[in-house]
Amino acid sequence: MSAEAVIQTRNLSKTYRDFWGRPKVRALNSLTLDVNRGEIFGLLGPNGSGKTTTLKLLLGLLFPTEGDVSVLGKPAHDVSKNERIGYLPEESYLYRFLNADETLDFYGKLFDMPSKVRRERRDKLIEMVGLQNARRRQLKEYSKGMTRRIGLAQALINDPELVLLDEPTSGLDPLGTRDMKDLILKLKEQGKTVVMSSHLLADVQDVCDRIAILYAGELKVVGNVADLLQSQDETQILSSQLSPEAVQEVEAVLARHGATVKRVSHPTSTLEDLFLRTVEESKARPGRRFGPGEGPAAKS
Amino acid sequence: MTTLQLPYDLLGGVLHWLAAVLVVCAVGLFVGMVVSLLTVGPRGPGLVVDVLQRGLHDMLHMSARRIGAIASLTMKESFRKKAFAVLVVFIILFLMAGFFLRNPERPDDLPAKPYIAFVLMTIRWLTLPVALLLACWGLPTDIKDRSLHTVVTKPVRRSEIMIGRFLGYGAVTTIFLLVMSLIGYVFINRSVPELSQPQLVSRVPVYGSLTYLDRNGEPGEGVNTGDIWTFRSYIEGLTKAAAIWKFDNLDVERLKQHDGLRLENRFEAFRTYKGVIGQPIMFRITLVNPTKKLRVTNGDLVKGVAEFSEERQRSAALEEDPAAESFGGLRTESTISIPRTITYIDVSGDRGGDQAKTVDLFDDLIDGNSLTVEVTCQDRDQYLGTAQSDLFIRLPDRGFASTYFKSIFTMWLMLMLICLLGTTASCFVKGPVATLLTFSLFMLGEHLRPQMDHLLKQFNENDRQVLGGGVLESVYRIVLQMNPSQELPDNPAMTIMQWIDRRVFDMLGIFRNVIPNFEYFNTAAYTANGFDVSWNTALLPAIATALAYLLPCVLLGYFSLQLRELEAK
Repeated sequence: MSAEAVIQTRNLSKTYRDFWGRPKVRALNSLTLDVNRGEIFGLLGPNGSGKTTTLKLLLGLLFPTEGDVSVLGKPAHDVSKNERIGYLPEESYLYRFLNADETLDFYGKLFDMPSKVRRERRDKLIEMVGLQNARRRQLKEYSKGMTRRIGLAQALINDPELVLLDEPTSGLDPLGTRDMKDLILKLKEQGKTVVMSSHLLADVQDVCDRIAILYAGELKVVGNVADLLQSQDETQILSSQLSPEAVQEVEAVLARHGATVKRVSHPTSTLEDLFLRTVEESKARPGRRFGPGEGPAAKS
Repeated sequence: MTTLQLPYDLLGGVLHWLAAVLVVCAVGLFVGMVVSLLTVGPRGPGLVVDVLQRGLHDMLHMSARRIGAIASLTMKESFRKKAFAVLVVFIILFLMAGFFLRNPERPDDLPAKPYIAFVLMTIRWLTLPVALLLACWGLPTDIKDRSLHTVVTKPVRRSEIMIGRFLGYGAVTTIFLLVMSLIGYVFINRSVPELSQPQLVSRVPVYGSLTYLDRNGEPGEGVNTGDIWTFRSYIEGLTKAAAIWKFDNLDVERLKQHDGLRLENRFEAFRTYKGVIGQPIMFRITLVNPTKKLRVTNGDLVKGVAEFSEERQRSAALEEDPAAESFGGLRTESTISIPRTITYIDVSGDRGGDQAKTVDLFDDLIDGNSLTVEVTCQDRDQYLGTAQSDLFIRLPDRGFASTYFKSIFTMWLMLMLICLLGTTASCFVKGPVATLLTFSLFMLGEHLRPQMDHLLKQFNENDRQVLGGGVLESVYRIVLQMNPSQELPDNPAMTIMQWIDRRVFDMLGIFRNVIPNFEYFNTAAYTANGFDVSWNTALLPAIATALAYLLPCVLLGYFSLQLRELEAK
């Protein structure tokens, strides 16, 4: 059974032109892509690969030079599709003279929401992004992380079916990044489709079901993350309490079956895990300092 | 304030507007089709039709809540970015104004006019840049900062952005104007010297149409005494020459309530010889009913021309008796009260000799709803200068607040039009260019229309030629030091040059029809001179002009935003 595509692009191309209409740069070249309902889809690529251009074409902020684009079954220029879309731009281009309450109220009004619904959504989202204590402060006083969080809240004000996130973890500290990734996964649990662009590969790997890799405006790879990352000709055995003798025996068995053991080592944690554990520990026991060989790092 | 007090032709204006809008739409559609054909090929015209359909759909599905949200955002933005600083400047100016306006030697000797003119001019020139800068810079800044991305990615139509922004800027400007006008009103009432307080009135004039009889009593023109400004025509003294005003559509029942009629004149004298020192040139008023063949005049209707300016008269009076005279009293020189019952000598002779008769002003002299007033000069070889607005019926005065706030209202209309033009311009160009464009339109519409009218009148009346030629011909003549009356050489180059000049004049004609006439919005002269800002000659054209630009500007702004990439690199 084929999944329902909420985004379809067919031979989508975009060429930026100069003042005189002469082609300046071809930012996107013949992109054909489907994003299915309920998945988290990652657009990957180095800077200038066409990720943001693709998102802006989907949103109708740019007009395609060639090709077609359909979002939720409607052409990109159709304003009515935006009723079911949430968008977090790369930078949070919000009105810095508003506070969090006013910001969400303003965007709620743009969805023609009645006052009561706006108030409910606003309170819920502010709590969700953890800005209860800063809701009356103007956004110009916010830190980068707080700005991203209120940006995400405005993207979700209409409880959208499709959420487009442009570099959602950019500029966030590891805690903020983890919160953002948790939020993205929560959106998936709620049945929403999420399209995110990023060049932070670990973030994409953590949350995305499928990815597309763009390079110089061209689609190079598209597919399921697990499938793309799986190495079919290698096998990994993870065990606990294995003695050196047992390791030798396992290697001998493998050699008998013609396999080559490439590496036997203890697995390491990621730096992100270490950092998060340290911060959690510090929150639980404030003021304590760890020496070498102590604390969560020593325990792991 | 125009010199000719003519009622505004609303129907003609509407038809003119319809024609202009249709022509602009047709030209826009044609250009759109051609450009789309050239840029996207055969499917271009289809795209144009699609855009028009979407435009119609968007216009019909606008949301008041979204427009209100954008307007409210715009207001918050303006106030939180300290736009109200202009009020501080305003208050400082007013605190210091007294030093410059008052004559320190005679602090009570200043008419109300400078105070009123100062207040209205200050308000106008302080609110104008506020409206201009807010309207021209808001949207481009929004686009540059990309805040607009978070708006257009919501179900917001471009027309809602345009209208919301315009309303927001309009509301901010309105608040400024309201505050300034209230402060200004209090300032005028408190600052105008007591002696000049009677000038704070709103005279309500009824203007008539003016025709002339020449020195032989035949219908014709007045005499030009050599003044290059032909505003006034002159009638010769003690001849059959007369200036005849016909006041139509009078509200006779309303006039009857006041048991008489006040006529006010602003005639000017032209002396061919000095005459008697201290004695003014005299004129006679005759009330005529052509249907009943009545011609009524008497000694009370013979008056002298006020030959000096108000200020000089007032100053002279103060010198003689500062305590007794007042400007209000002197003005009665130019105000002629006609009682309801008039006694006159019938000189028609058909009843066997001159006899004193009595007539009722309203029953006998007003013919239907019309009153005819004939004015003749009573001094031999002297001339009386007359213009249409030099004689009017003065209805009961209204309070000064009436004319003041009407003037403020026309200023408000002007500011709304500036906001509208600025917002529209900012939909397709950046802030500095939008500011320059809007300000240029204002300056052209306010100050250069008479020059344009003069040139185009010459061009149209003079076989599509102007003395000295158009742009290219003028340059040619300047370079070769040819005077305007010299014939140009007859060759193809000259023919091409003149052809181009004529096209430039055609373009000027089109341009003149598109730029707003900002003169309509400047009614300060009415208020400063103590006149009511009349509905027919001042308010109606201002309202009609402001409304005329609303729909075209919204459409232009909408399509400009709709057709541009808001994320252009």
